Amino acid sequence: MADLATNNNKMICQRCGVEMNHHCDKLVYTTDPEEAGGRDPSLGGFIEEIHTCPECGAAASRHA
Amino acid sequence: MLSAVFSKHSDAQIQGRNFTEEKVMEASRTLFIPVILGTARMGRMSLHAAELVAGELGKCEGVATDLIDIAKLPLPTNDAGEAIKQPDFSTKVSKADALVVVSPEYNHGYSGLLKHVLDSCLKEYIHKAVGIVGVSAGPFGGTRVIQNLLPVMRELGLVTIFWDVNFSSVRKVFADDGKLLDESYIRRIDKFLKELIWMAKTLRHGREQVSLD
Repeated sequence: MADLATNNNKMICQRCGVEMNHHCDKLVYTTDPEEAGGRDPSLGGFIEEIHTCPECGAAASRHA
Repeated sequence: MLSAVFSKHSDAQIQGRNFTEEKVMEASRTLFIPVILGTARMGRMSLHAAELVAGELGKCEGVATDLIDIAKLPLPTNDAGEAIKQPDFSTKVSKADALVVVSPEYNHGYSGLLKHVLDSCLKEYIHKAVGIVGVSAGPFGGTRVIQNLLPVMRELGLVTIFWDVNFSSVRKVFADDGKLLDESYIRRIDKFLKELIWMAKTLRHGREQVSLD
């Protein structure tokens, strides 16, 4: 839903236009070869950042 | 209630914004807590348990709910995981602040279809509360299925509460038409829901206001 980023790398809620709160890094293990390039070798998977809008509660995510 | 909770912050200003007003707005937004009925078996008594819990949730101030019947979700079985994400289910879980999972105990475990449904989402669950209701024909009230669901919930990113509801000998708890025969369950459900709502509010605040960085 919200996939824009500001200069300070915050995601922006497309509904409210405000900076979203980054509250979680989820470690995702994948067998998908297209995602393998984003794998963090020290963790064995890639990090999916989870962000939530403080105004409306909408959530969004992106690869770290 | 809200004014009592937040009155001590009435003069506080944080970054030029009125703290009291923001907190009251945040706390007054309706919580959405759907109930997932975790079985598709014909004649399932868990339906009555799910309807009862959803009914009690619907009486809670500031809470909206919905009964999600996994038997009615059109998920394919020739694939699994997020590849088969079903838009309606995904939207409801995204919108949810907490979940109630009502699961019968089949051979000490949960139904395969429930796991299939749960696995179709991932980031939709993260940092949200979940309470589990166990249902069994025997005397243990689904305690074993609840224990088996806990690690699944944790890996999905859900936060489990420490109250459960256990419907033991469920055929004695509900009449065939779903009428509740044992009123003591109302008090148990009330305690369960109070804990779940507290956790839902707390985690919503955390998701929206507390940064990982």
